[in-house]
Amino acid sequence: MIFEINDHGNPLFTGIHPLLVELLRAVAVDPWERCPEGSERLLPSPGEDEDLRLDWEDHVQPELRRHFETERSMVAADLERMTEPMEQDEKVGEEKGASLEIPLGHADAWLTTLNALRLALVGEHRFTEADLSHESFPDLSDARGIALMQVNFYAFIQECLVRCLDGEGGEGDS
Amino acid sequence: MANPDLLESPETDLAEALDLPWLVVVHNDPVNLMSYVSMVFRRIFGWTRERAEQHMMEVHVKGRSVVWSGGREQAELYVQQLHTYLLLATLEKSS
Repeated sequence: MIFEINDHGNPLFTGIHPLLVELLRAVAVDPWERCPEGSERLLPSPGEDEDLRLDWEDHVQPELRRHFETERSMVAADLERMTEPMEQDEKVGEEKGASLEIPLGHADAWLTTLNALRLALVGEHRFTEADLSHESFPDLSDARGIALMQVNFYAFIQECLVRCLDGEGGEGDS
Repeated sequence: MANPDLLESPETDLAEALDLPWLVVVHNDPVNLMSYVSMVFRRIFGWTRERAEQHMMEVHVKGRSVVWSGGREQAELYVQQLHTYLLLATLEKSS
């Protein structure tokens, strides 16, 4: 898979392997549906103060959940536009793979959605910092290994998007 | 001049009396990328890259970093913004 910034200034992923296409499509899945237990992390408590915690549950958390849902819808729409030219490249005899262009204005929605799913997966499978350290290739023969691969693959996409956004309005004086 | 009410009421909430600020604390988690955390700090607090990275490293190494202190209302707003970016942030009374 190749990452570049195209002529429109948008992040572009090309040559995406069919397995990774499937992992990308999974980004559109509701994390609360996919990982109900792990999704608790997506709405953290604001602290120990009981009144504040209750106020947060009543007012802030529903708003946050709506926000995550809106961002996920935007990502799902981008994924619908993912092209999947699966024909064989006659010259090299390899599949060309799919390509995905993410409008730069949607990068925040992608970061949020990828982050939410990564957090939910890590919570669900109780991955440790050592698990996430990329020191060994995950065992893809079970669901836990595939989930770890997802978490790492989504981290790669996030890194690419952060690099695209870096320098865009993030600077400021203290 | 000393306030006799304060002197005669040792149970007075000292923090209230001194109007100590609220702290916005960001906690470490193994999932959020360092580059992402740094970007979020720059966006929310308008910090330079250097300052954002200092706080990001403090979170990573020490497990937490106080990123802002001041009035409760603004502190709540910052915690909410940090939660929007899915960072683990809490509000604490300064001690």
